[in-house]
Amino acid sequence: MSIRVRFLSAFQDLTEGRKVFTVEGDRVLSALQDLEGQVPGLREKLRLSEGTIHPAYHLFLLRKGRQLLCQDLHQALEDGDELVITPVISGG
Amino acid sequence: MNGYHGKVLRVDLSNRRSFEEDLDPDFVKKYVGGVGFGVRWLYDRLKKGKDPFSPEAPLIWATGPLASIRFLGSTGISITLKSPLTGLIADTDMRGRMGGALKGCGYDALLIEGRSERPVYLRVTEGSCQILSGEHLWGMDTRQTQQALLLDPENKNSLVASIGVAGERLVKYANIHSELQFFAGRTGAGALMGSKNLKALVLKGNKKAPVADMKKVRELVKTISSKIETDGTCDTLSRYGTWNTTAPAHLNGILPTKNFQTTSFSEIGQIDGDALLETIYAGKRTCPGCPIGCRRVVKGEIPYPFSTEFAGPQYETVAAMGPLLLNGNPYVIGKANELCNLYGIDTISAGVAIAFAMECFDRGVLSERDIGFPLRWGDGEGILKMIERISLREGLGDLLAEGVRSASERIGNGSSEWAIHVKGLEVPMHDPRGKKGMGLAYATAFKGADHESSMHDEAYQRENALPELGFTHPMSRKQFEGKAALVKSLQDYWGVMSDVVSICKFPMIPPRPLKPRLLVELLNAVTGWHLSMEDFLTVGERIFNVARLFNVREGVSRKDDLLPLRFEEPLKEGGSAGEAYPRRELEKLLDEYYTLRGWSTEGIPTSETLKKLGLEDLEVST
Repeated sequence: MSIRVRFLSAFQDLTEGRKVFTVEGDRVLSALQDLEGQVPGLREKLRLSEGTIHPAYHLFLLRKGRQLLCQDLHQALEDGDELVITPVISGG
Repeated sequence: MNGYHGKVLRVDLSNRRSFEEDLDPDFVKKYVGGVGFGVRWLYDRLKKGKDPFSPEAPLIWATGPLASIRFLGSTGISITLKSPLTGLIADTDMRGRMGGALKGCGYDALLIEGRSERPVYLRVTEGSCQILSGEHLWGMDTRQTQQALLLDPENKNSLVASIGVAGERLVKYANIHSELQFFAGRTGAGALMGSKNLKALVLKGNKKAPVADMKKVRELVKTISSKIETDGTCDTLSRYGTWNTTAPAHLNGILPTKNFQTTSFSEIGQIDGDALLETIYAGKRTCPGCPIGCRRVVKGEIPYPFSTEFAGPQYETVAAMGPLLLNGNPYVIGKANELCNLYGIDTISAGVAIAFAMECFDRGVLSERDIGFPLRWGDGEGILKMIERISLREGLGDLLAEGVRSASERIGNGSSEWAIHVKGLEVPMHDPRGKKGMGLAYATAFKGADHESSMHDEAYQRENALPELGFTHPMSRKQFEGKAALVKSLQDYWGVMSDVVSICKFPMIPPRPLKPRLLVELLNAVTGWHLSMEDFLTVGERIFNVARLFNVREGVSRKDDLLPLRFEEPLKEGGSAGEAYPRRELEKLLDEYYTLRGWSTEGIPTSETLKKLGLEDLEVST
C-alpha cells in the first residue's frame, strides 16, 4: 500500500529539500527500504549497521490521530498511516 | 593545583578596592568549580532574608577546571547569585570565552560585592584589577557598550561582558552579554549587576592553569571530537542548531502555544527549522574547541531589519517569541531576539511575560487603555513594542519587568491562573504535560522552572540511553513511573556537574558521545585526581543539596515544589492530547523523589543526608 513519509528537520541535505515522499510497503521495514531506495545515502544515516533506527532520530507512526514511537520495524502498516522522521529532542 | 591557579579575585565596589584570596585545595576538591564554588560561597556569605539587591549580595563568576583547554565550550563561565526574580539561589551559565579569559588573568573566580555610588566598569588583567568610571557607558545598549570599551586602546584584545539598559533599570530578568553572542540569560544576573552600578567587565590575560596529563587530555579531546564528527548524533544540531527541536516539539505536542493553552500551532511550517533556514538564516558560528557549531547567524531586512552581529535566536527564543504568542512571522522572531539582546533581557521570561499580558487583554482583565494599545495574539508590532516597554520599564512594561508572578499578584482578577512560572521563574518552552520528567525537574530545580536542570524525557525512550547511570530500559515521555529516579540522577549529573566542570550540555545528551565516564576521565586528566564515577556524582549531589539548603533557609519547602495550575488541565489536541499533570501525580513523584534524595517528606535534607555528603557543618534550619 502507499504510505506518506514526512521528514521534519532531518536529512534535507539528502532529499534536496524535499520533505514529503510516497512509498510502498506493508510493514514499516519495507516502507523504509522503499524510501531508502528513493533517497541515496539515507540508509547509512538513518539506520545503524544492524538495521535499527539511529538513536539520534525518532521514527513515528501516525495512525488515526495517535502518535506511536516506532521501535518495531516489522510492525504492519494500515491504510492512512503516516511515517515521520525527526531528530530526537535534546533541549533548546 | 592542576586545573587551577588557586586564586580568587574579590572586588568590593562600596569601598572601591580589590584583593586576592587563595583557594583552599580541600574546598576545591569538594566543590570543583563553576556553580559548585558559587553555591557554597553564596550560602556562606549571604545571610537569610537579605534583599537580592542588597550591597552585600555577591555576584559570583566562577570558572571550571577545564577553562584553560578550550574544549566543547569549557571556556565558558558560571554565575551564581540570589535571584531578584525568584528571591532564591540561582546560577546562570554563559558559554563563550569569559571563563577562559578570567583564567587567563590568573584567577579561578571573581566575587563582586558591594555597590558603587556611581556607574563603573571593571578592567581585570594579569595581576591588575581596576575599578573605572562607567559614566560614559550608562544608558548604552549592549552593542554600544562593547564598541565603546573596545575602542579604548587599553582594552585592545580584551573580552567584554556587559549589561544593557534593562539591567540598569533593574528589570528582574535582565541578563549579562558577552561578545554579543553569549548570555547569562535567566534569573536576573544583569539586574544584580545594574543594582551594583556595574556596567561591564573587561578581561584580558593569557595565563594558563597547569594541566596534570596533557597527553591524556589530547587523546580524550581527539576521541570525543572524532565521535561527534562521525557518529551522526550531532548532525541535525550542526545543520539546524537548536532549531532542530521546533518541528519535533510540535509533533510531540510539547511546543507551548498561546501561553501554554495548547501545543498545536497552525503556522508551525513558517517557523520550524527548515523554514528558518530558508528565511532568516545567514550562517553559523561555533564555540571555542567545538566541532558542532550549533549557533546560528541570522539576518532580516525592512520592515524587520536585524543584524548578523548578534547571536541568532535559539529554539527557546523561537518558541517564546513565536507559538507562545501565536506569532508565525520568523522576521518578527528575529527582530524580537535582537531587541532582547540590545536591551539585555532574557527571551524566555520576556516571551512568557508578553503571553501573560496578551491573555490578560484577551480575557478583558487588561484594557487597551491599561496597555496603551490592543495587545492581541500574534501581533508582531505589539510584541516588539512590549519588549521595549519592559526593557525601559515604561507603562505596563514596568509591571511585566517584575516577572509574571509579581505582575499577576498586582493585577489580580484571577490572573495568577495564567501566570506561568515555578517559584517565580517563567516556564521554558517545553510543556511538561507531554514530558513528565521535565515537570518534576521544573518543580524541584533550585532556581525554579529550568529546562537545563535535568535532561529531556525524549532521549530516554530508547533502550540503553545512559547505562553508566543505570538507565537501560525505555521510558515513555508521557509516563510518570521511573521519572523521580531519572530526574534526581540527571539533576546531579547533567544539571549541576556540567556547570561545575563548565562544559556545554549538548554533547552530554544521549546518544551523543560525551559520556559520563569520558567526562570524569577528562576531569581527572586535567586535575590529576582519581575521582570515581561515584565520587563525581556525589559532588553534584552535594552542590544540589547546598543549593536546596539555601532555599530552605529562605522558607522553601514542599509547598513550593509546584507546577502552574494550567498543567493540571489535559491538552485537547496534538501529539500529547489527553495528557495532564495532575497534582496527585506530582505529589506521588515528590514522595519518591524526596526519599531518593534523603530529604524529609517536607523536602528538607535530613542531617543523615548532609553527613553522607560531607556537609555536617551546615544546619538544617527553616
